[in-house]
Amino acid sequence: MDGKREIIETEITMGTVHSAAIEPYRVRLFVEDEIVRDAEITVGVNHRGIERIMEGLPVEKANSLTEKVCGICSGVHLWNSVLVAEKGLGVEIPERASYIRIIVGELERLHSHLLYLAHGNEVLGHETFSMRLFYIRETVMELLRLIGGNRVQYGVPIIGGIRPRADLDEMKIQRIMDGMDFIEEKVEAFAERFTSDPMVMSRITGVCPISRKDALRLHVTGPTLRATGVEFDLRTEMPCYDPFEFEIITQDGGDVRANLLMRVLEIFESIKIIRQALRDLPDGRVVDRNWEMQDTGIVKSYVEAPRGRLYHSYAIEDGRVRGSIIRTPSMSNIGAMQYACIGHHITDAQLGIVQCDPCFTCTDRAIEIIDLNSEG
Amino acid sequence: MDASYSIISVTGTVLLGLIVSLWLPGIERKFVHARIQQRIGPPVSSPGLMAALKFFYKKTIEPCSPLPRLYNSLPIIGFISALLILLFLIPPMYTFGALASLVAVVGFLKIEEVIYVFMGSLSRSVMSLRMPFPDLARGAKHPNVQRYFLEDLSAMRAFRLIAFGSFPIYIALFVPAVMAGSISIGDIVAYQAANGPVLFTLAGVVGTVAFFIGYMILLNEYPFAILKTKADVIEGPYMEYASKYRAFVYITRGFLMFTLGCLFSVLFIGVPPNILSWGILVNLAAAVIFPIIMAVFSAFAPVFTFKQFYPVTAAASVIGVLALVVAFV
Repeated sequence: MDGKREIIETEITMGTVHSAAIEPYRVRLFVEDEIVRDAEITVGVNHRGIERIMEGLPVEKANSLTEKVCGICSGVHLWNSVLVAEKGLGVEIPERASYIRIIVGELERLHSHLLYLAHGNEVLGHETFSMRLFYIRETVMELLRLIGGNRVQYGVPIIGGIRPRADLDEMKIQRIMDGMDFIEEKVEAFAERFTSDPMVMSRITGVCPISRKDALRLHVTGPTLRATGVEFDLRTEMPCYDPFEFEIITQDGGDVRANLLMRVLEIFESIKIIRQALRDLPDGRVVDRNWEMQDTGIVKSYVEAPRGRLYHSYAIEDGRVRGSIIRTPSMSNIGAMQYACIGHHITDAQLGIVQCDPCFTCTDRAIEIIDLNSEG
Repeated sequence: MDASYSIISVTGTVLLGLIVSLWLPGIERKFVHARIQQRIGPPVSSPGLMAALKFFYKKTIEPCSPLPRLYNSLPIIGFISALLILLFLIPPMYTFGALASLVAVVGFLKIEEVIYVFMGSLSRSVMSLRMPFPDLARGAKHPNVQRYFLEDLSAMRAFRLIAFGSFPIYIALFVPAVMAGSISIGDIVAYQAANGPVLFTLAGVVGTVAFFIGYMILLNEYPFAILKTKADVIEGPYMEYASKYRAFVYITRGFLMFTLGCLFSVLFIGVPPNILSWGILVNLAAAVIFPIIMAVFSAFAPVFTFKQFYPVTAAASVIGVLALVVAFV
């Protein structure tokens, strides 16, 4: 549908600051009798200039700064930023460090997906489900604190491996194993209740669907893409995931139901990976310090963050970062968020946006300043 | 003696109603929602009593409204209409004839409903304001369209609630009237004193179901909270209320819960609220049990859109009509 050709009479604006929206973004919904005919989502009010601050910093210092991009998937930003340096410098990391990075990465995916499910249910108006999911998520947060020392920014990967304090001893391994049992049991119970609730299913089935074709056209990424039936997961292309068996979860329809179920099923796959990693955790060192800093060209790295494909790139000059670029998955998904709302009720529009798991604050990577006076 | 009895009865009952109603939102939040959601929840006095008290001492700010005085007076009008319903349910007030009848109850309830239309249309929250220049950040898809405030939307929804959503409770109200053969509150109470409570008849049971669904719709509780859905028109018509006016919003909701509980006990159990009679315990029980059941339902329900709201309302209305038919038979 080409919105510009429509004669649209009414605009409903939300934001940039609105109590219903967790983050600062601006939604313009063009409606006719509460049905959304066109939508426009704008970000750009929370630009923190992290790439600019990174410019010229020593590489390790710049890497740790990338954790501040996101308060949910902070670990994967650091991991990817460290991967850029390791690729450029040709650093091989110990196998034990690789396993622990994956454990932390998958715990972060659990934490992100549980947060998504809780937030989705909150927007749905189902406070009880939302609260219970936050309660389950608490276990993941505590496990992350156990490994990294912090609940949000755990700072595990460093160039050459992981920080020695994040190494796993027997006690930690047992605590993580117990945590996985607890989360699996609780999420199973939630999934059963969720899928058998007719009121909930009536609110989410067929709501704001994105077709497979449109998902590809709009460059959708991550679980939102897989919810449309496309079997694509960057983890299968990351060599560090080779030792692990897991399935790429897909759903059909791309609607709110498919997106919610998608994350529920991915939680079980993450638990599966964590258990394998803990069971087969190799012995040995967790960091290799035998590398030398040298100049590199622009090195790019992609990883599968909880929300989808995450891109980091920079060059190294005299041990300092140059020309850093970060692109978060939500940047790719904004088009789908706008598209999903069209033709649906205004109350479903927020669900349509939330189903793509947006993280707008982290998406604010660039800012354009227009001088209106100079344009006349 | 009669006059002093009446004065004590009326003022005492209203005062008791006010005191109890201040605790009802707390009971709903602390003892039901929080327990179901496995969290501690707020202190039981917080949502109804302490929040209202706190707001009375906040600085009064001017709302962003074209008619701020009218806008600010609406919660007080809503409170007065709920107060009048309770007032004319108390036995000494039955001498006022037409005012102590179902027609008056319906009228006062309608006032309570209509004020949301005005609240919504008079509120202009900054959260939905357009930027004071063309939004060029993404190329301004539709630069010159008419702008709605989110609260305008809630005004339209309040209108739809009046048009469709309030059917179940109004139909249920007339079930006891059909059985008693009168719309006078006094006659309905007298009929039940002679023939037993309407609640223990088939028509009464079916009518109670319709009444309860209507009660939830009237109080805009989840899943029927279309007036203030979190996703789009959060807070809806209440958005711009601050200080003592917001306190009245809080008090009115609790008081309406109490009043509707009393209305049920009068119409379906035949016990009018009177502080000088042990029957007041029945009124209190109805006033407490209804919010508790409502809170249980709302804790396990998502918010409805019109797609779910209309069929449920229609089904509840049909149940109400069925109760009326059974009452006639």
